[in-house]
Amino acid sequence: MTDRAGTSGTALPDPLTTPPDQGHLPEGLPPDASRRLAELEDRPGHKGMFTSDLSVNEFLLIKEVGFHPLGFVMGSSIYHLGIQTRKWSQSQELSKLTEAMYEARQLAMDRMDAEATELGADGVVGVRLDVNYYEFGSDTAEFIAVGTAVKAEDGRSYRNRQGKPFTSDLSGQDFWVLMQTGHVPLGLVMGTCVYHIAHRGLGQALRATGRNVELPNFTQALYEARELAMTRMQDEATELGASGIVGVRLEEKSHMWGGHTIEFLSLGTAVVKSDGDFTIPQPKTIISLDG
Amino acid sequence: MASTAGEELPEAASRRLAESAWTSGLSVADFASCLDMGMRPVGYVQGYAIMQWSWFLSTGGFGTPTGGIGGMLGGGWTAGPQRRGQYLEQWQCPHGFVSAEHRMYGANYELTWLEESWATGWGLAMARMVDEARGLGATGIVGVLDSMRPFVGGMTVEFRASGTAVVVDGAPTPASPFSTYLSGQRLAKLIEAGFAPVSVAATLSAVRMLGYCITHYQLAGANVGTWYGPSAGGVAGVGPVDQVNRAEAAARRLARERVRAQLGADILHGATLERSEREIGEGDLSIQCTLKGTRVRRFKDFDPLPDAAPVVRLT
Amino acid sequence: MTLGDEVRRAVSALAEAPAQVSTGEARGTTSDLTIDEMLLLHSAGWEPVDLVYGISWWSIPWGAWQWTTGEVQEASNAFAGAVDQAATQLRESCQHAGGSGVLGVEVGVRVSSHHVSIELTGTAVRRIGGAAHRFEFISDLSARDFVLLTRTGWWPLGLAAGASFVIAPRRSAREWAAQQGQNVELPNLTQALYLARERAMERMQRAGVTMKADGIVAVKLREGRASSNVRVIQFVAIGTGVHLREGEHRSVSPEMVVPLDDLVRQFDVKSLRASGGE
Repeated sequence: MTDRAGTSGTALPDPLTTPPDQGHLPEGLPPDASRRLAELEDRPGHKGMFTSDLSVNEFLLIKEVGFHPLGFVMGSSIYHLGIQTRKWSQSQELSKLTEAMYEARQLAMDRMDAEATELGADGVVGVRLDVNYYEFGSDTAEFIAVGTAVKAEDGRSYRNRQGKPFTSDLSGQDFWVLMQTGHVPLGLVMGTCVYHIAHRGLGQALRATGRNVELPNFTQALYEARELAMTRMQDEATELGASGIVGVRLEEKSHMWGGHTIEFLSLGTAVVKSDGDFTIPQPKTIISLDG
Repeated sequence: MASTAGEELPEAASRRLAESAWTSGLSVADFASCLDMGMRPVGYVQGYAIMQWSWFLSTGGFGTPTGGIGGMLGGGWTAGPQRRGQYLEQWQCPHGFVSAEHRMYGANYELTWLEESWATGWGLAMARMVDEARGLGATGIVGVLDSMRPFVGGMTVEFRASGTAVVVDGAPTPASPFSTYLSGQRLAKLIEAGFAPVSVAATLSAVRMLGYCITHYQLAGANVGTWYGPSAGGVAGVGPVDQVNRAEAAARRLARERVRAQLGADILHGATLERSEREIGEGDLSIQCTLKGTRVRRFKDFDPLPDAAPVVRLT
Repeated sequence: MTLGDEVRRAVSALAEAPAQVSTGEARGTTSDLTIDEMLLLHSAGWEPVDLVYGISWWSIPWGAWQWTTGEVQEASNAFAGAVDQAATQLRESCQHAGGSGVLGVEVGVRVSSHHVSIELTGTAVRRIGGAAHRFEFISDLSARDFVLLTRTGWWPLGLAAGASFVIAPRRSAREWAAQQGQNVELPNLTQALYLARERAMERMQRAGVTMKADGIVAVKLREGRASSNVRVIQFVAIGTGVHLREGEHRSVSPEMVVPLDDLVRQFDVKSLRASGGE
């Protein structure tokens, strides 16, 4: 990227004269990001500061379990999804698209992890994964991962088996409750599957029936898609050495592919039992006397 | 506020109110709350008024600088009908030349016609609602909703006020029923905290900003400094648009002062301040602010609550 | 006293002489707090004083949007200038009203092709029984968050805001043709938007550093089309700078509770049948 004289910061290359870029982003964080993160860290002669997108409630609960926020971290990737969806006659997974959706989110999350690592974080909480469509065209979207990097105040390392800070999409409240039960998060795990539902078969099936009857082929197809997504998510958890996954949810989106192609995205937080004895405190039961 | 004491209610309203089954605009939860407070709903009351509403008329028509051919170039011009004490600020072009495109004069002034029209319309609608409630022997009106919307035919608006009239058994009937935007739990807590609702209060302020040359160019995105050279008192491209900032501040200040004047020693509770803007032409804006709330009065001291205990609910 | 008794007492007070002599203390204050917020503030020893505001428009030269691609520096400068001016007005408005801080600030950001306008509206507050000595804070925290946070020793200082504006890039026909059918990241675009976000964050951080904050909480990152007629994406980061007084965080020690009700008001049906209500 060249800096144009007169503008501070990096200008986009002119698309008319610059050939399309086929390569990848350089390894490591761009200098602007490093600079922003450096400003947050405590150094001799420079007092650091934290930033966090946690609400006040979440901030206080994080502190309760002995973590301190370091900074808001983010990663993103603008991805071009190139396969044209066609009217396949069979219901099937569109594995190239699956790979693309996975890769795009993974890139975004890796960059967010890189920022968290640079801050010396033990983990990232409140992770949000979003997809934005601006005016890039119908087949391009921006995948974003944001969260708040945190560090344990007792000096213990909470980094996971891969040596990376744990990630979790649990809210501050859920994180607090999880820690009370004696479990710690290992990482945000995800599995995705882009499934195409056959056009011709569906039309025929609907015309042929007129009765209240199940369409077994399609039921089967959707089962398969969901199972694929969830299995992939579980595999990730196993790789991390987790004993379980909490806060699992399954999202189904068509993005911009039309109704016949759906992405099944399964997300959760992999957890493992922490060392040491934990007695789960007995929650108090209350009856609130107001609405 | 205009009063309709002595004026008869429209016939349709009298008929409806004479029927025995009462209607209420309250939700079930609010209704239950009312009963807990000892407020018995006795009817759904409303008031309407349709007013003439015209930007054209309110800006003084052809005689003012908006479109007048003779208005901009030299000579005098009028800033619309003046009322003593009304807000007015004027600006004059610092450049040394005159041209058809170059605005020599600019001003911020109150659109008093609009403000008075609003005050009359809102006041009439409210007063008629209160009259209906008085006819039912109500102690007060809760859950007031007020709205304003364009009416058919263009240059008219309809003001509407509605609420649920309630009777508090065992309490004296005040000369004028109280009114409040609140209902349900919020009203109950307000009273427990020691505040009695007096009436709803609202005002509209409207300020017109007629940009002079510099404002005009700033809003058009021109870098005045380079156009006229550094010696022409030019303004850099990025900078505060002073005339507009003063108009905005004036609109809010006027709204607040007017409401305060209605309050006496009372407090405006649950106030909402809304702002809207209308572009009449290039470099020609009008800014309105409405400030509404419930006027309340302290009737007792109350002990502060003990510190609330923080809890995390497991749902 | 039951609730019904209180209501009767309130109505009786109204029926007495309606016109009250204005005491020195109450000068017709205006507050946009709900009753819950007011009660919470009271329990912490604070009270609302008045509704206050600050608003500022800054112009942007038209050339800024046309000739450059990537980040539009003039727009971010205008944003920063407008925030600064609006915050100063808000502070003066508060001090004039006799408050020592502003809570619940709503931040309105409007961007058009030739200007940015920032509108701040909030409630000025002060300690009960004390005159305001010095100005303490501006914050978009609600009264509730304020009470909770200050209990643990963290105090708000001011609003930290930062923004960046990027012209939404379009791809050339050649780029498009070359990328047809490929699942690939677009590094140029990725870099551009990523950096724009980072810059918005960095500017917000700088505001935090200037006010000597220990941290910025409740950061909200808004992004989207800046306005309908300009092909610009805006990233606006706003949070409250906070400072840990006395150097140590005090624990809140929350209790875990399991509510045994659905959150619906229960009331005695018998009271509906009686015409009085009690």
